[in-house]
Amino acid sequence: MAAAVLVATAIGYLAFLGAATSWQYYLSVDEAVTDASVLVGHRLRVSGCVATGSLLIGDDRRQATFDLEGERHVLHVTCSCLLPDNLTEGIDVVVEGVLGADVIRSDKVITRCASKYQPADTTAIRDEGLAPPAT
Amino acid sequence: MRVLGEACLLMCLVATGYAAVLSLMGGSRLNRGHSRLAAWAALVGFAALSVTLVALAWALASGDFSYQYVANYSSRLLKWHYRLSALWVGQAGSLLLWAWMTAALALVLRFLRTLDPVLRRTAFGLVMGNVCFLVAVMVFAADPMAASLTTPREGTGLSPLLQHPNMLVHPPIVFLAYATWSVPCALALAALGRGRLNTTWIHLARPWAMAGWVLLGVGLLLGAQWAYQELGWGGYWGWDPVENGSLLPWLTGTALIHCMLAWRQRERLKKTAVSLAIVTFGLCNFATFLTRSGIFSSVHAFSESPIGWMFLALMGLLLAGGAVLVVRRRGALAAQSALSHILARETLILISTFLLVLFTLVVMTGTLVAPLSKIFVGRFVQVGPAFYNNVLPPIGLGLLAATAAVPLLQWGAPPTPARRRLLVLCLAVSGVIVTVALLAGMREPIMLAVVGLAALTVVTLLAAWLYEARHRQSLPLWQGLLGALRNGRRKYAAYCVHLGIICVAIGVTGSSLGTQRKEVTLDEGDMLNWAGRQIHYLRLEQHQLSDKLVAEAVLQVARDGSAPVELRPARHLHLLQNDWTTEVAIESSWRGDFYTVLNAGLGGGRVVMTLVDNPMICWIWGGGVVATTAAMVAMWPVSRRRTEIVDLDSSPVAKSFSVEQSISPASAA
Repeated sequence: MAAAVLVATAIGYLAFLGAATSWQYYLSVDEAVTDASVLVGHRLRVSGCVATGSLLIGDDRRQATFDLEGERHVLHVTCSCLLPDNLTEGIDVVVEGVLGADVIRSDKVITRCASKYQPADTTAIRDEGLAPPAT
Repeated sequence: MRVLGEACLLMCLVATGYAAVLSLMGGSRLNRGHSRLAAWAALVGFAALSVTLVALAWALASGDFSYQYVANYSSRLLKWHYRLSALWVGQAGSLLLWAWMTAALALVLRFLRTLDPVLRRTAFGLVMGNVCFLVAVMVFAADPMAASLTTPREGTGLSPLLQHPNMLVHPPIVFLAYATWSVPCALALAALGRGRLNTTWIHLARPWAMAGWVLLGVGLLLGAQWAYQELGWGGYWGWDPVENGSLLPWLTGTALIHCMLAWRQRERLKKTAVSLAIVTFGLCNFATFLTRSGIFSSVHAFSESPIGWMFLALMGLLLAGGAVLVVRRRGALAAQSALSHILARETLILISTFLLVLFTLVVMTGTLVAPLSKIFVGRFVQVGPAFYNNVLPPIGLGLLAATAAVPLLQWGAPPTPARRRLLVLCLAVSGVIVTVALLAGMREPIMLAVVGLAALTVVTLLAAWLYEARHRQSLPLWQGLLGALRNGRRKYAAYCVHLGIICVAIGVTGSSLGTQRKEVTLDEGDMLNWAGRQIHYLRLEQHQLSDKLVAEAVLQVARDGSAPVELRPARHLHLLQNDWTTEVAIESSWRGDFYTVLNAGLGGGRVVMTLVDNPMICWIWGGGVVATTAAMVAMWPVSRRRTEIVDLDSSPVAKSFSVEQSISPASAA
């Protein structure tokens, strides 16, 4: 029993060290903007919707800028990372990076992946028949 | 057909509920009339559910978009096998498949011959209750037979990321695993409820637990392989909450199988065994909650649904009910023998169980940090891979160490002097191997530890096999070796499972520590030397298929002067969804993978690519194959004739005498 307690304590300490070096806040856009004064300079994850008309992707798909919309606020995002294939306007994403003044400098973008249990609303595409090829 | 399917779903709800109630009535006395009626009700429910399943499958195959489910997940542009696989892609279809599988397994349980019909009947009733729950969730919250408000001319189609061979089998295997784990849980609850806490429930539950372990392990590996081949980031595991969710029951299931062994051999770890049987199935429901509730940000699912909370409630009910029963039966669950020695097998099982539970708690903590922090701190806080990479290696090494020594240990007694000498010899041999690895340039302490423990596992297995062949059979050595395998098939198969897990550990460690990544921009004709390979980018090819546009970069990759291999990393534009996907190209060998990703085309044949050198990756897939195959060999029933051949090491009698004493010339005379 003593050995078990000792091992569990050691593991708990390692867990604390691991958490201390890798934890980050996970916030909505509104929370990040509201608490920006406290969170500037912190590494965090922010979820929101890519604003329509805001997405600019570099030719090499390693750079992108877009606005991330919450319910009340908007946060500008600059990405320097390999971008997911399905990054488009109007979808929910989670960006990971450092919060600056009114901007997140992101090095990771997670998109909605193949959501198995909630289909996308593509009524307009379906009513047209086939979707037109991308230009 | 849709209306028929809907009616059958309702019929199934009533029939399975009726079967569950009838089976659980009657206390410990077996009422044959009730039992027969419950079996018929279950058959009717299964038949009705089958009709619903066939109706949905037919609708998917024929492209009947009057079904809302078909319109949401299928299209006429899909190949037929992906159209059918849409059956398990969505919420309602996956629940339907899961319920159907559980109902089928319940019927198998019902009609199995067993020494304890009361136990079987009670467990059958509980599994039927689970089927009734799944059908109720469908009826009230996720109807697979729901009609489209308007019938579109074409469906939404399947997400391109899910159009992968692994996705044809990964979800059904995982759901079959979840369905299978419901049986040991039901048997444990039945044994606790009816007070039948002898080894009968172990004999009944063990094959189901082994099957659930194999299926879930295969499901995890297929999912990891899909992520590796499809998501294009060069990794196979991201500590995503949904991934973690499926890992948790596999870990507790591993502990359960070993605790069952300790109960059967030494009447120990009884409370742990019944608790783990209940917890494992509870964690299957927890995994479903993680996937379907939407409270976690996950690369797998962003959906929000009340269905997830129903599964969390079921898990809570199982755990609460199980805890009450375990406390009530604590007297009968007390250990019948003390731990004999630190180097006895049951002691190592105790240590391994502790480490596996610790592993599970760490993974669960990392997964639940976000919602718990929201409750206690007011903000979501997440931990990254560094949390897991810091904590889990020591636990993993402890598990490998406990695994390595087992073949030379005994039940209920310390190792004999001869076995002790062999163990020391094995330690020396593995020490030599570690020294060789060190001199060859391997410097990472964790990799050295894994190599050492892997060598110890192999050497102790060979030593135990040779020892048994020489000392237990009065035959030539080669006949002794075959005889030892024949007489101890399950035991040696279990050791091979350990070998498979060791291979997985080697692959995980090697790929985690040795992966290199490079992003390059290349023009047609460019050559590049990197990671010991010569890479020649020949050209960019583009062509159109019926459902997509394809852009492929043609590469020739050579290593150490060997013949070049052609790789074609590509990007596909799926026309219906207007989505691009990345199709990686991988060159695999036992040393590792060379992984290429086409990120973008810049025009004029210029491309941006990511190159990844992933050492030892195939050891993960190969180790999984070894472990799975060996586990299936271990699961195979022992023939009646073979059960008469006593395996001294696995028998409780072994605690009272040594192997040398039993087969010495003096005792033989």
